[in-house]
Amino acid sequence: MASVARSSLLRQVASARPAFQQSVIARAARPTAITAFHTTARRDLLPPLPQHVDGTVNDAAPVPEPSPSHGSYHWTFDRLVAASLVPLTVAPFAAGSLNPTLDAFLCATILIHSHTGFQNVIIDYLPKKRVPRTRKAFMWGLNAATAVVGLALYEFETTDVGITETIKRIWTA
Amino acid sequence: MAALRSSASLLLGAASRPVLRAAAAAPAAVRGMAQVVDGQQQSQSASGDAAKLKTFQIYRWNPDTPTEKPKMQSYTLDLNKTGPMVLDALIRIKNELDPTLTFRRSCREGICGSCAMNINGTNTLACLCRIPTEDNAELKVYPLPHTYVVKDLVPDLTQFYKQYKSIKPYLQRDTPAEDGKEYRQSKADRKKLDGLYECILCACCSTSCPSYWWNSEEYLGPAILLQSYRWLVDSRDEKTAQRKDALNNSMSLYRCHTILNCTRTCPKGLNPGLAIAQIKKEMAF
Repeated sequence: MASVARSSLLRQVASARPAFQQSVIARAARPTAITAFHTTARRDLLPPLPQHVDGTVNDAAPVPEPSPSHGSYHWTFDRLVAASLVPLTVAPFAAGSLNPTLDAFLCATILIHSHTGFQNVIIDYLPKKRVPRTRKAFMWGLNAATAVVGLALYEFETTDVGITETIKRIWTA
Repeated sequence: MAALRSSASLLLGAASRPVLRAAAAAPAAVRGMAQVVDGQQQSQSASGDAAKLKTFQIYRWNPDTPTEKPKMQSYTLDLNKTGPMVLDALIRIKNELDPTLTFRRSCREGICGSCAMNINGTNTLACLCRIPTEDNAELKVYPLPHTYVVKDLVPDLTQFYKQYKSIKPYLQRDTPAEDGKEYRQSKADRKKLDGLYECILCACCSTSCPSYWWNSEEYLGPAILLQSYRWLVDSRDEKTAQRKDALNNSMSLYRCHTILNCTRTCPKGLNPGLAIAQIKKEMAF
């Protein structure tokens, strides 16, 4: 019942909607303040479901099984990768010389960093309970993309000039 | 206090009197709860203060007519006759303009957390939020965002309380105290609880967190994590490892992306963002 009123912010957008459906005259008479914000059609992506309470209202919310590889280890690894990107990015320019090993490390770190970053986006926006198959598809899509990019970077590093040199050349081009 | 005016002057001023009840009501019957009788102020406003009108736009939705769209309803009050806080205005609207307006309130001094709502785009306690007087812009009041609404400004906090229960917010300890009396704590250990125990669970921070909006089924949200940390750092608690295990998954804790809306919005001036960062740090190695 109460679900009708879910997400007050979105509902305000919804209530502004009939303005689009009114006649041209009515639209002309209306200030354009609202229309200016909405240039594209409004789509309900994952609209709110009716409220669902697991068990009774007095039961505690279920506590998931501990899994450090998805929790603390994952987070720590994430932060270490992100932190190591800073010196890796600066090093070749600070040192003034280009080292292929360092370059390969930089490539690998960027790849892992973006992979876990996109993973976080998928976990955030594709809830397992709501869209389990879409979530799985996106996760595998991401794995495939990472593999392809990894392969491409390997090729680029081994047969071409490497990423740092490329950026250097584009910068001075 | 200057803004508190008597009900008698309210009748004399009459600028924003509702037509509805004016005819029938005797002065005693319309006395607002947020008003005090003050002789000096009464004479002031009776001698003709200019009415300081302010319009309040309030979110209305009635569960009795669930198919009817929620709407914003406007109420105009004279600020000279209203208390300084938004809650005073809401109470006055309910008393004098529209008794069907529904909201939670209790202590009116920021200690119960009942009147948490979204005022002019910020989650805060209505009782701690001054009515802005510098301009005549309309004041918009919504229920807490992304909550199921029970009625008007009353959000359904069932999931929030269930999550609070899930972190076992009480002292867990097996060994008795050494001297058989209370569990002692050093001053330094007690100090760690400052800034944590003050949380009144008003849900302002949790409902301002985008991560909590998207994943409130599994992510605990800033308020509950702040409480989690309150029990994690308590030197008397002996189940720290189990408490950490309960958070050690991808959803419960790590959906926090340090957006810090929680810290910005907290009406009690606490820092849930820092508490969450401390938990992450403690669990990191």
